[in-house]
Amino acid sequence: MKMLFRFLSVAIMLSLVLSACATATPSTPSTTDGTIVIRAGTGDGGDGLTPHQQIIQNFEDQNPNVIVQLEPVSGRDYYARLLTQLAAKAAPDIMQIGDDAVPSFVSKNAFVPLDTYLENSNFDASIYLPGLLDPGKVDGKQYLLPKDYSPLAVYYNKKLFDEANVPYPVDGWTWEDLLATAQKLTLKDTSGKVTQWGIQLPAAWTTGFEYWVAAAGGSLISEDGKSFVGAMDSPEVARAVQFYADLYNKYQVAPQPADMNSFGGGNSEFANGKAAMMLFGRWPQGGLKTNPNISLGVVAPPKDKVRANILFWGGFGIATSSKEADTAFKYLSFVSGEPGAQVWKDWALPAVKSVADSSGLSKDPIEGVWIGELNYLMPRAYTFTPFWNETADPALRKVLESVILDPNADVNALLAQAAKDAQAALDKIGE
Amino acid sequence: MWVGCTGTHYPPYPHLLNDSDISLALRSLHRNEALSFYIAISPWLVGFLLFTVGPMMISLLISFTDWDLLTAPLWVGLDNYRDLATDPLFIQSIKVTLAYTAAYVPLDLVGGLLLALLVLPRFKGVGAFRTIFYMPTVFSGVAFVVVWLWMLNPNGGLINLTLGWFGIVGPRWLLDPNYALWALVMMSFWGWGRSMALYLGGMQSIPGELYEAAAMDGADSFRQFFTITLPLLSPTIFFILVLSVITTFQSFTSAFVATNGGPLDSTLFLVLYIYRQAFEFFNMGYAAAMSWVLFAIIMTLTVLLMRSQKFWVFYLGGRSE
Repeated sequence: MKMLFRFLSVAIMLSLVLSACATATPSTPSTTDGTIVIRAGTGDGGDGLTPHQQIIQNFEDQNPNVIVQLEPVSGRDYYARLLTQLAAKAAPDIMQIGDDAVPSFVSKNAFVPLDTYLENSNFDASIYLPGLLDPGKVDGKQYLLPKDYSPLAVYYNKKLFDEANVPYPVDGWTWEDLLATAQKLTLKDTSGKVTQWGIQLPAAWTTGFEYWVAAAGGSLISEDGKSFVGAMDSPEVARAVQFYADLYNKYQVAPQPADMNSFGGGNSEFANGKAAMMLFGRWPQGGLKTNPNISLGVVAPPKDKVRANILFWGGFGIATSSKEADTAFKYLSFVSGEPGAQVWKDWALPAVKSVADSSGLSKDPIEGVWIGELNYLMPRAYTFTPFWNETADPALRKVLESVILDPNADVNALLAQAAKDAQAALDKIGE
Repeated sequence: MWVGCTGTHYPPYPHLLNDSDISLALRSLHRNEALSFYIAISPWLVGFLLFTVGPMMISLLISFTDWDLLTAPLWVGLDNYRDLATDPLFIQSIKVTLAYTAAYVPLDLVGGLLLALLVLPRFKGVGAFRTIFYMPTVFSGVAFVVVWLWMLNPNGGLINLTLGWFGIVGPRWLLDPNYALWALVMMSFWGWGRSMALYLGGMQSIPGELYEAAAMDGADSFRQFFTITLPLLSPTIFFILVLSVITTFQSFTSAFVATNGGPLDSTLFLVLYIYRQAFEFFNMGYAAAMSWVLFAIIMTLTVLLMRSQKFWVFYLGGRSE
C-alpha cells in the first residue's frame, strides 16, 4: 500500500509537470516572412460561412501581408470553447458573439475596449443605422461592432388573405387588429378541426417574448437591474402573457408548438401555407420568399400601449489576448464597416446606412420594414443585468410553457412565482 | 525514481522470514514481479492519473470556489454545496433523475432478459435477430434521439399515427410535462440490446448438464428457468444492475437533444443541469459541486448494491472472497 502511495505521488507530480508544459503553446501561428496571421472566430456554420470567406478574400487582396484564418465553431458549445481558449490565452484575435453574451464576456475581461482605436483611426462609427452600436456597448464603452441583426416582424401570406378577402395588415396596427385578423383567417372544417391557422407564434421563446412585454408598456426587470419582483409580476407583463396565451388557447388562432425545444416552437404551418401570419425574426425570410406556398408580405409587429420592437444582434470584437490587436482592428473595421456590409447585404440586413440606402434595401417593401423597425427598439432585459440568462430566463420560460400547455393556467400566480424564483436566484448571486 | 518506488515492501511470506537466504531470494523475485507489473500497466496508470484522478482532484478544488473560467477563482468554502440545498432546479433535477432511474433500470433488466431468452435458442437466422436487437447500442446517441423525435411527433409521428388507426388520440409526448420523461424512458428501450448481449453471455456459460439433470427429474422449462437459469444468471443480473444504475444517473444525450430539460423542467436530468451551469452559465464551482454530489450518490448506491450481493447473488462454485 505504502509503495502504491509513493508511486501515485510521483505520478501526480509528473502529471502536473507535463500539464504545465502543455499550456505554453503559442496562440498565433508565426511566420518568418513578415506576414501577420490573425484568427477570426465565428459561431456561424454551413452557408453562413460564405460571406465571411468572401470578406476575408477581399481584405487579403487589399492587405497582402495579412492572412485571416476563419475558425468556425457552430452549435451550442461555441461560447464554452471561446472562454476556454481565452482562459488558455489562445483565443481568436477577432471573436464574434451574440447580443446577450456581450455583458458577460465583457465582465470577464474578454474584449479590448475599442474607444482609443476608434479615436485614433479614420474609422467613422456614425456610419451605422440607428441602434446598432448599442448592443456592443457596456457602461458607455464600445467593445464590439455590428455584424448583422434582426428585429421582429409579422410575415403574412398574401394568398391566404386574398382567398379570405381580408385586407393586409398595415403599419401601426394594434393587438386588437391582430386578433381580429387572425380570427378571420382561422378556418375550420365541418368537424370543427382547424384547417388553417391565423398566426404562427414562436412558442416559449423568451427573448422574442420581450417584444410583447415592451409593447404592453412593461418591463421584466427594474431599471437598476436588481429586482424582478415588481417588474416581472406587474400588470403590464400579465397583460402581455395573457394576450399571448389567449391567442393559443382562448381564441385558438395559433397552432400549438410542434417541438418546445426547437427554436421558435418547431412549427411549419406558415411554410406549408397553413397559417396566414407568423411573428419571427428575419432569419427564415430567404426560404419564405421562394416558397411556392407563400406570396410574402412583411409588416411591423402590432402596437399595444407602445409601438415597440426588440433587436437581435451579432457583432465582432478584439480579444484581450490578441498579440496583433492593431491588425485585428484593421480587419474589424473592414468586416464591420462598409466593405463588409457590401457583402453582408446579400445574406442579411446590412448594418451600414449608406449600403442599405444605395442598394435600395431601405426602400424595399419587405427589407424596408425590417430596417424601419430600428426606430422603435426597446432595451432588452439582458442589458440591465449580466445574470439575466441564469436567473430570470428559466423562470419566464416556465411561465410561457405553462400558459401555452395549460389553458387554465393562472397567469398572475405564475408570474408572481416566477418573479420570486428569479429574484431568489439573483439575490443568491449578489451575496 | 523506480528504486524509490520499489524500496519498501510488506513481507509476503512471514513464516519464511527467519531463513534469510530464501527470504532474500523470494524478496527479489517479488520485487521483480511487482516491478514488471507496474511497468506493464504504466501506460494505463499514467492515463488514469493524468486524465481521471488529476481532473477529479482539480474539480474537487473547483467545487469550493466561485469560478467563471476567466477571472481568478474565489475560495468560497462550502457555499456551493449549501446553495444546492435551496436550489429548486437542483432538487427538481434529482427528482427527475431518480424517477428515470427507477423506471429505466427494472425495464432494462427485464427487457434485456426477455430479448436474450428470445434469441437464445439456435435457430436459422438467430444471428440476424441478435444483430438487429444489439444494433441500436452501437448507433450514435444523437442520431437515434433524432429518429425518435420523428416517431414521437404528436402530429404525424409514427407512434401517434399508429395509435390513431385504433381510434386512440395519442398524447403530445415530448410537449406534455406529464409524458415527456416517459417518452424518454421509451426511447431507452433501444438500449436493451446491451443487456441482452450480457445475458446471452451469462446464459451460454451455464453448464448444460444442469438442464439435462433437471429434465431427467421431470422439471418443465418454467421450473428450469426459475431454479437453474435465474440463480446462475444472478451474477450477470447484478453486473447489469450496477452498470445500469451508474449509466442512468449520468443520462444526458436524450434530454439534451430532444427536450433540453423541458417542458416545465420535467426532463431536467442532473447531468443536463450540471452542463447548463458549467457551459451555459459558466458557474464552474457550482457545477463541480453538483458533480461531486452526483458522484457521492452513485458511489453510495453502488456500495449498497455490492453489500446486497450476499442476499441474492449466487456464484457457481462459491463466493470468491
